[in-house]
Amino acid sequence: MQRSSWLGLAFLSPALIVVLLFFLMPVILTGIFAFTNMSTATGVKGGSYVLNASSLRALTDAGLPDVTRSQIESAGYRVDERGLAALAEAHGQAVAEEFSKNHAGEVFTKRRDVERALKDLSSNPIRKTRDRKAAADLFKRSILNQRYETLDAFEAALNEAGIPKPDRPLITEIAYTGWTWTTANFDLLLSLDSTWQYAKNTGIYVTFTLAFNVVFGLFLAITTFYLPAAQATAFRAIWFLPRILPPVLYIVMWRWFTWDTGFISTVLSGFGVSSKNWMLDTEYHAWVTVILINGFVGASMGMIVFSSAIRAIPASMLYASEVDGASRWQQVWYIILPQLRWPILFITSYQTMSLLTSFEYIYLSTDGGPGGSTEVWALAAFHTALNNYGGNLQYGLGATYALLLVVIGVLASLFYLRLFNFKNLLTKPRIEG
Amino acid sequence: MRISITNFTKTFGDTTVIKDMSLEIESGEMLALLGPSGCGKSTTLFSICGIHRMNAGRLRFGDKDVTKRPPQERNVGVVFQNYALYPHMDVHANIAFPLKVRKEPRAEIDRKVLEIAALVHIEELLQRKPSQLSGGQQQRVALARALVRKPDILLLDEPLANLDAKLRLEMRSEIRRIQQQTGITAVLVTHDQVEAMSMCDRIALMNKGDIVQVCKPKEMYDNPASDFVAGFLGNPPIAFLDGIANDGEIRLANSEVALRLPSNVIDLSNGTQLRLGIRPEFFQPENDMKVTGKVSFVETQGREDLFDVTLTNGAVLRSIQSRGGDIKLGDEVTWGISREHILAFGPGGERL
Amino acid sequence: MKHNFRNWPVLLVLFIFSLPLLIMLTFLVVDTFTTKVPGTLVPNAFTLHHFRFLWTDLDDGRWGIYGVTLNTFIFAASTAAVVTAISVMAGYALSRLSFPARGFFLGSLIVLHAFPTVTLIIAIFLILQILGLYNTLIGVIIVKTALELPFGIWVMKGFYDTVPWEIEMAGVQDGASRFTVWWKLILPQVQPGLMAILIFSFLSGWSEFVLPMVLNPGTDAQVLSTYLATLLLDTNTNSDFNLISAVGLFYALPVVIIYLIFQNKLMNIYGGGTKG
Repeated sequence: MQRSSWLGLAFLSPALIVVLLFFLMPVILTGIFAFTNMSTATGVKGGSYVLNASSLRALTDAGLPDVTRSQIESAGYRVDERGLAALAEAHGQAVAEEFSKNHAGEVFTKRRDVERALKDLSSNPIRKTRDRKAAADLFKRSILNQRYETLDAFEAALNEAGIPKPDRPLITEIAYTGWTWTTANFDLLLSLDSTWQYAKNTGIYVTFTLAFNVVFGLFLAITTFYLPAAQATAFRAIWFLPRILPPVLYIVMWRWFTWDTGFISTVLSGFGVSSKNWMLDTEYHAWVTVILINGFVGASMGMIVFSSAIRAIPASMLYASEVDGASRWQQVWYIILPQLRWPILFITSYQTMSLLTSFEYIYLSTDGGPGGSTEVWALAAFHTALNNYGGNLQYGLGATYALLLVVIGVLASLFYLRLFNFKNLLTKPRIEG
Repeated sequence: MRISITNFTKTFGDTTVIKDMSLEIESGEMLALLGPSGCGKSTTLFSICGIHRMNAGRLRFGDKDVTKRPPQERNVGVVFQNYALYPHMDVHANIAFPLKVRKEPRAEIDRKVLEIAALVHIEELLQRKPSQLSGGQQQRVALARALVRKPDILLLDEPLANLDAKLRLEMRSEIRRIQQQTGITAVLVTHDQVEAMSMCDRIALMNKGDIVQVCKPKEMYDNPASDFVAGFLGNPPIAFLDGIANDGEIRLANSEVALRLPSNVIDLSNGTQLRLGIRPEFFQPENDMKVTGKVSFVETQGREDLFDVTLTNGAVLRSIQSRGGDIKLGDEVTWGISREHILAFGPGGERL
Repeated sequence: MKHNFRNWPVLLVLFIFSLPLLIMLTFLVVDTFTTKVPGTLVPNAFTLHHFRFLWTDLDDGRWGIYGVTLNTFIFAASTAAVVTAISVMAGYALSRLSFPARGFFLGSLIVLHAFPTVTLIIAIFLILQILGLYNTLIGVIIVKTALELPFGIWVMKGFYDTVPWEIEMAGVQDGASRFTVWWKLILPQVQPGLMAILIFSFLSGWSEFVLPMVLNPGTDAQVLSTYLATLLLDTNTNSDFNLISAVGLFYALPVVIIYLIFQNKLMNIYGGGTKG
């Protein structure tokens, strides 16, 4: 190991830690979470074990024998050795012995009955109601509506309540409140109609926005190239703003533009068109707005990349074509566009990737509406896992949606690795000492 | 400080650049590593200063083995081809940097910087930034920075390659003057034979990762160890004639012409493949061993004229003569070779 | 080259296409300082009423704008500082130092650089919950830093790659350690890159919306983007565009100022780097 190795690793380690924790881990965890039923109800960390009315219902549905069921329900208060010992500890040996003589082995379903039995003891040794309640609790063996933090504690309780061994695994499974492993998410995903709807919406969204980005980006780059410097700079600055402005503000402007008291409505009302929300009134309008919103932002990136590519074309080539008598249109078609092949490929692949996965602008503008017509895949993942009106956030299902995007993302990134001609990057450091 | 390299090997990945090379450089000597590009001369230089690690072999400075030492501990000053001045520091700070790194006291640093600046004649430039200096001035600053901490060894990597012709002449003698004044052991890497011959005490000529010959410049010119050395040194370059030895003569290939061999190789057995090297100054009208050919090229160089003479078998001899004659392209001439100055080489290129 | 073509048709077409943006931008500014009769577009009076959030708290228990602004600044500035610091080190290591598995790290950098980070938001949300950093500013800062890092390292590596090796070699030969060489000789050469990363990640942090919304939805450490978004999505306020625009203008002011100062530098980095 050379000494610069240590410096290299030391310099890299902060980046490594952060990247491992918030890139690699999330990628892996998305895959893992997709195989769980995590939701708001199950929590994220491990759960506990609870049997309540609804789990009893579930148990019956799952075919739990009625005998076992009534055992669970009736396992209320049991006069056993342990309880008697505790009673002797608290109120003296004599009390315990008398109580044992009268009730040993008996099971009470309600605390009130235990209290009465205690009260009925010959000397009525426990006078205060509060003490009697506490004494009754010493015999409490119920497992209903109790929270057991560990599996061991829960199994011990089942054992104590005398639940038959063969029924215990089923009870344990249903009583568990935490998340569990499952492949149900994938089955659900494939069976839901909405899944196909999201996929279709994503297709529409990516195709049209991408087309707009590339075509309009090219248009901006080429037209500003031919304009005098001052005008070109002005237009580039205007078109750069959608990218540089904070997304929320950018959407504010669009919402104002299309709102029922906004610009379009106001202008058109002068022509007798009644005012309405031009963004959300129809599916068609919603799509146009979504595509324009994303398109304006994407076009600015295309504009910058294409502009610098055009400026890299040797001026002599353009002069030569003019001397040859080419019209401006021919110049664009035969000289400029062929030179932009790589930038266009780059923008196309890059933007496909970011459009597939982005949902920020749609969330802020239509939020998938009206009626889910602009709900794209990434937005659906976000809604399912992180933001819905029902309130039960289904992390596991959401992760399943996201997993598909992560897989596409990884594949696309590996494609980039090839595109970047990785070998060229691998030049060795020239100082070896 | 004496430098001794033994059995030095250097590889980059799968390619072996230097194989099993040995070289001794005497204390206070200035040695040129001369050779065509890609011959491994820069690799050798970078291995001496420690930027490259040697894959095998040993490197000693004086009695000290520095093979495994990092560059910082070798006390070697280097002048790089592009000078590598630190652009954000002024000249003073550039020169002072090696001393600052050694945490020398401020007053001491200032004193040494002024002293070295005087030696290389840049006293008035100390406050300037490197971008405000000419090539020659940058070169002087680089020299000053390399020398200010009194290194044991000075390495110069193509120091004149980035200068224009006039400055190159000036800096050639300047570097030599400074080296001689400081008495430092210096290694100069260059591909320019004139630079090597004019500046250095000895030349190590390298080819394909190997040292072909090490000796004084004049000796290397007069007494080359192989046809490669003979061909590399000399401008205009030496001309070669190929042929077969026969009774103390050489019969040129595809030709009836036979020439007497020089006396040191006269007893070669018949049929030996031979290659004769004839320098232009030894192919002159007045010499006695006559050869006839057609003038195929004339170049006027001012004081002298240079001629190519093509023999009947297509071989070319070169001649350089002081001006005066009115020989034209296409003339047939019969000029003589100075027999005792012929250099004879065997079939493998080795000197006979 | 350009004289034998007429410009005005192109200019006209460009102008028409740019009209929606121009209108939006113009009215964004005009609306915040004026009042209008409903149903018209021409302002009839100047007012500062829409900027009332600057001196009074808006009703419904929202945080004061200055607290939110401070949060935003802390968020953006610390993200920028950490991203720059880590990128400056890691970029150098990848560009100049040799260490085991260097090729692998370089490859991963490219993969990460191109990777769409939004897809990770669900997993990150759950990780922050497990780490107990959910609903804290520090959690969002860490996540934002992590997501910006590959880009920062990539850009910094590019800048380091342009510094001549000889400077580094000369420094080593002058007796300086690799660390000193980096600190004293190389770092000053890449200052433009350092500035670019700093500005870029500050702007990126300032504009970030999804991360604070998902990872820090509470009101305690709100940032301007989520503050503005709640105004925009809350049915009580979402049609008061004068107010929303005013808040938005206040929010965007630093961005616009920075943009005006560093316009060219930013255009390069947005175009050259692939993130955005």
